[in-house]
Amino acid sequence: MKKFLNKPVNLVAELLEGFVLANADKLKLAGTNLVVRTNPKSKNKVALVTLGGSGHEPALSGFVGYGMLDISVPGEIFAAPGPPRVIEALRLANRPAGVLFVVLNHAGDVMTANIVMEMAKKEGLNVKQILTHEDISTGPRDNPDERRGLVGALPVIKVAGAAAEQRRSLDDCLAIATRMEANSATLAVAVSGATHPCTGEPIATFADDEMVVGMGQHGEAGTGSQKLASADKTAEIMLPMLLDDLKIKPGEQVLALLNGVGSTTLMELYLVLRRINQLLAEKKISLARSLVGQFLTVQEMGGFQMFIARMDPELLRLWDAPCNTPALTK
Amino acid sequence: MPDRIDYNILVRMLHAAVQQVRDNHQNLSRLDSFGGDGDHGTTMLRAMELLSKTIDSSPKQLPQLLHDIGWAIMGVDGGAAGPLFGTFFMSMSEAAAGKDSLDIPTLATVFDSALAGVQKRTKAQVGDKTMIDALVPAVRALRDAPDLATALQNAAAAAQSGADSTKNFKARFGRAKNAGDKSIGSPDPGATSVALIFRGFYQGFHSHG
Repeated sequence: MKKFLNKPVNLVAELLEGFVLANADKLKLAGTNLVVRTNPKSKNKVALVTLGGSGHEPALSGFVGYGMLDISVPGEIFAAPGPPRVIEALRLANRPAGVLFVVLNHAGDVMTANIVMEMAKKEGLNVKQILTHEDISTGPRDNPDERRGLVGALPVIKVAGAAAEQRRSLDDCLAIATRMEANSATLAVAVSGATHPCTGEPIATFADDEMVVGMGQHGEAGTGSQKLASADKTAEIMLPMLLDDLKIKPGEQVLALLNGVGSTTLMELYLVLRRINQLLAEKKISLARSLVGQFLTVQEMGGFQMFIARMDPELLRLWDAPCNTPALTK
Repeated sequence: MPDRIDYNILVRMLHAAVQQVRDNHQNLSRLDSFGGDGDHGTTMLRAMELLSKTIDSSPKQLPQLLHDIGWAIMGVDGGAAGPLFGTFFMSMSEAAAGKDSLDIPTLATVFDSALAGVQKRTKAQVGDKTMIDALVPAVRALRDAPDLATALQNAAAAAQSGADSTKNFKARFGRAKNAGDKSIGSPDPGATSVALIFRGFYQGFHSHG
């Protein structure tokens, strides 16, 4: 492992210290290492809170700021925070307008969220939860519990966060987040592994000429392991699976998001986006918006997540609304 | 051998469980590297160090100690392990409410409660290659023993054979399920942690008598 590290035991605390320094105009730490806005949102707007493991920078704390999140609760490397700091965050965010609690579907995150939601109910906190689970390779659409939450959390946070800034009610924000989530699909492709920064253990290993599309194990979407393909061919393999999952029809409008997970270059992602646009045009589907970058990474892993969502006029307006966070500015 | 577990005996049992994890955390991380991301040993070590600190800081009262340990472990911020092992101790505390010592039927009730608490948090069943594979037989073994020493000895042995049995299983929960068939051949780290904790409980109790 070749990484610039100090003591593993201090890694997350040191990471957070640097992260807020680098974004001091937008973020600061509060309470027990909670990442909050430097300029808090007005109390009569709905607040957005999320939780998630560290090591995926800039996610998820990079989505804290105007137009998106109010508080992020970072866990240890690749591991959800436990209930004590998450309930602390919900108490801090609690307000009459309410709190939207965004949870990505991973075992540890959901377990913490379930415990915290029970506590919040007992304490009378005004919190509603949205679970994101849009990875089409880990479960069929009719069994969403199996589907992992990947980069699709970003558009959900973006549109719900915009609705919150526009003083929409908690029920409205939840309905918007739910609609965005239900119309989202992600498929991941991986070409090279990464190492856990604390243990130095490999997270996954790949042959030099191998790429793995989705999990491809239980008949869910994905091809599993196959020979590395060109950017065009990879788009041709992946995009139809997403369009099929969402049942996108000619004439509809989509958002495409390409999320590099670590060592895959923006150059490669632009090639893929170019081909996505051509393929959509052939099918008379409109690429209404697109976004390319590194938003939710897995250390130096190679590969990307292809995200497609069906958009309607309101979701597009909320997607276009201003935001000012370390990871996304509009 | 004492016929009740009081605060002082419980503390010995807990210290011995902490020591078991300290001695074996590298093996736990190695087991986790086959299906997970190789940090289960580190997480459990942090959880057990929090447990140890809580013994020093918590009021010297049995149910309160179990509660405070559970809440401390929940705060380990290490994925599912924190909420699961934290729930284990907090559910023990709920069943021990109002008691300053545990006789054998109460001990069985307390561990039944711990198991029920954990099962509320996970849908995993025996055979799914999780901590449940060690916890279910351990708690069952506690129920019909003639005395505390036998109960804890049987529970430790049952937890160990439950953990060993997971070698043959394919992971179906947590991140390890993504490893699929690759998970077959090595025991589940969570089940192994449960076996270490029950081994510690027995050793700690035994060293007292």
